[in-house]
Amino acid sequence: MASIQSNSELLAIDGVRATSTLRPSSAEEVADALGTADRDGHAIAPVGGGTKLALGNTPTKLDYLLSTAALDKVLHYEPTDLTLSVQAGMRFADVQALLREHGQTLPVETPEPERATIGGMIATALAGPRRYGSGTLRDLLIGISVAYPSGIVGKAGGLVVKNVTGFDLMRLHLGALGTLGVIVSANFKVLPAARHESTLITAPQGISDAFASAGAAARGRLRPISIEIFKAGDGWITAARLEGRPSTVELGIAELCGAVAADRVVQADESWAWWREYLHGQRLTETGDGVVLRCGFPPKTSETAVSRIQTALVAYDISPEIWTVSPGLGAVVVGFDRPAGGSLKPVQDALLAHAENVSVLAAPSDLKSDIDVWGRRPETVHVMRALKAEFDPNNVLNPGRFVDRI
Amino acid sequence: MNHATLIERLGRIVGPRSVFHETGDLLVYEYDGSVDGAVETARPAAVVLPTTPQQIAEIVKLANEANLPVTPRGAGTGLSGGAVAQAGGIVVALTRMDKIIEVDKEDGTALVEPGVINLELSETTLNDGYFFAPDPSSQRACTIGGNVAENSGGPHCLKYGVTSNHILGLEVVLNDGRIAWLGGNAAGLPGYDLTGTMVGSEGLLGIVTKALVRLTPAPEAITVMLAAFPEVETASAAVSRVIGAGILPAALEMMDALTIEAVEPQYHAGYPMDAGAVLLIEIDGIAEDVADTAREIEGICLESGATEVRIATEKLEKELLWKGRKMALAAMGRLSPNYYLHDTVVPRTKLPATLRRVEEISKEFGLRIANVFHAGDGNLHPLMLFDRHKKGDTERVLGASHEILHYCVEVGGALSGEHGIGTEKRDYMTLVYTGEDLAAMAGIKNSFDPRGLFNPEKLFPKGYMCGEVRALRAQALAQKHGIYPI
Repeated sequence: MASIQSNSELLAIDGVRATSTLRPSSAEEVADALGTADRDGHAIAPVGGGTKLALGNTPTKLDYLLSTAALDKVLHYEPTDLTLSVQAGMRFADVQALLREHGQTLPVETPEPERATIGGMIATALAGPRRYGSGTLRDLLIGISVAYPSGIVGKAGGLVVKNVTGFDLMRLHLGALGTLGVIVSANFKVLPAARHESTLITAPQGISDAFASAGAAARGRLRPISIEIFKAGDGWITAARLEGRPSTVELGIAELCGAVAADRVVQADESWAWWREYLHGQRLTETGDGVVLRCGFPPKTSETAVSRIQTALVAYDISPEIWTVSPGLGAVVVGFDRPAGGSLKPVQDALLAHAENVSVLAAPSDLKSDIDVWGRRPETVHVMRALKAEFDPNNVLNPGRFVDRI
Repeated sequence: MNHATLIERLGRIVGPRSVFHETGDLLVYEYDGSVDGAVETARPAAVVLPTTPQQIAEIVKLANEANLPVTPRGAGTGLSGGAVAQAGGIVVALTRMDKIIEVDKEDGTALVEPGVINLELSETTLNDGYFFAPDPSSQRACTIGGNVAENSGGPHCLKYGVTSNHILGLEVVLNDGRIAWLGGNAAGLPGYDLTGTMVGSEGLLGIVTKALVRLTPAPEAITVMLAAFPEVETASAAVSRVIGAGILPAALEMMDALTIEAVEPQYHAGYPMDAGAVLLIEIDGIAEDVADTAREIEGICLESGATEVRIATEKLEKELLWKGRKMALAAMGRLSPNYYLHDTVVPRTKLPATLRRVEEISKEFGLRIANVFHAGDGNLHPLMLFDRHKKGDTERVLGASHEILHYCVEVGGALSGEHGIGTEKRDYMTLVYTGEDLAAMAGIKNSFDPRGLFNPEKLFPKGYMCGEVRALRAQALAQKHGIYPI
């Protein structure tokens, strides 16, 4: 049976306290814990590294946290096959360190990789800037094992890079915030790590110049792996990251410098560290009384969307200190202090007029009460509710935290 | 509802000329591209050819009312029986919904109807500098809707990923006749990834009426290389070394001696007739990079024992090299009246051993088996040559197929890499999945389609009827606790 931790490590989610933390050490123990909770009518919140607990609506009920920390083993790694299977509690930095020994990588990123776990990254599906050039975990996840409140562990997919044997449960659990089951292990297609990388960074400039720089980078012969625009003081900086064999990256940077006025170019480890720092600025662990909000829209409308979002926020007297724009992905993330009005509802509603979706990634718990942090209610919410009813009929897992308070 | 009423009601929805119900008209819908004997065939009550999502919604409502199964169908090129009719059911053929509604040059997306032919989409978007990356061998005929249903692959999946990686959003008709959008082209759309769940669901969850697909920028330069090896083992070793060196080609295909024997005299692709295996390697990207990579691959192949390496940069030369690969199936007609094309996947390192086992099986069953496959991702396509009019031939093919599947699963492989399960392999599902695994999959079916309207009796093994999830779970739990029902 899973051990129960003393009260010293108590954690709360949005101010809702759990009585204790379960630390199962095997997939079966996770399933047993869920089965027991299901029978006893308890609610469980799965926790990995705890770096993205800000995500989601306030839990409607919480009895136990279920930590995947003890599930931290590598189950299978065959470098020549480019496949990897790890338990859900393995830290992302440890996964990357293992892969690096063989010149390979999982080409995704997260803030706080030393804490963030593979399971948490799958459950939250928050992609970083690399999504532009190399996709997300969605493109790399080839198999999954999940413990369900019915007390069983079910797997799908496998350890081959191409597989259409049955339904794609990998994608169902990706981004499901652990509301359908607790991911206990995952299989990935890994890739050869790029041999070299460089990043071009512009000086702060006006917003339209920043977008022009991003556009020029996107049109380059060597397609960047990431293009981001972020606010720095009164100006906006554009950064574009290139990857490949050294000669190719050099060529790409030289051509890019002809099209975009670079303030500086950082290379290799320095480039890597720059992006790591950039991501660190987007962590959701120390948001305090602040709000982090993400708007999504078709990429080609990025420039218009950003200007409309700016205007809309000004109307609520909000001037975000953090602005990051992913023009090729159609996303903007803003961070600001608690709004004076005391509610995010009118702000979210106003922004929804200018974006496909507006989700609150982090906010003080009292500001979460009158909104759905996930934003617009999907028109297929009835199917989503049916899925929840199938997989977790008694609302054991993260009740209330998902879309439409599923 | 009697047959005449059904036909009349369907006619009111799509027009009488778009409803087939005469035996002769229905015959073709009893089949798909799979081998006769490998999948069951059945005659539908009717085939309808709608032109709008609204018509499909009405058909689904009628099917609910009449309690009839619905099977969506594209071009019928599938090889696992997924589009084969359900006896007495309704086939919704989507071939008339073949419009490319919009190509968004800025965002690199296209909104298409499900009946658009795969290759036509690439040919159309190439003018704008894009292509649709999934390229199954049937791409001249197969439809995007079918690609979505089967999560189709193709040679270029090695670098670009399978269909699922290229579908941003879907408009679907759900089991109650509701038309709904899943996904879209914006970051952070809320809720479960129903788009990803729908792709590869083999028509069991709904009918796709529109697809928003991601287009891939056409590469600046493409080089195709041919490397000839004395035997399959050395070619396999070269594949591993190329991947191991950190190179990810756009495609990495292998053909064995028997395939070369079928292809070369017919298409004169330039494959050496005395080679034990040839690798076809495509690399793409910016010109300078492609040139460097080609030289690196050439070195690796020669070190691995290649007897010859050719680098084609001219369009005609490249097309000819590819022609041999793309026409390999057609060329089999030279060797045998029928072939059974198998589709399994093994971890790449298990390829040489698997090919040896396939050769043994070939001898055991007295069948000639040609191998033409996606070596880069371990996706095998053993082609079993036979004559279905010869007594016992079909049985021997099915027997050999059984052995190959068992072996592939034993070495950690999967039942299918890109053709799907359908009815062809549904009874093999228990080889790779436990009752618990299947219970979870049945949970998805139950959420979308609790009445089992869409494509019933596909994908799940017989005896695992989709509606009985609870029974499955109880069974799984009982097994777990060592309790067996009396």
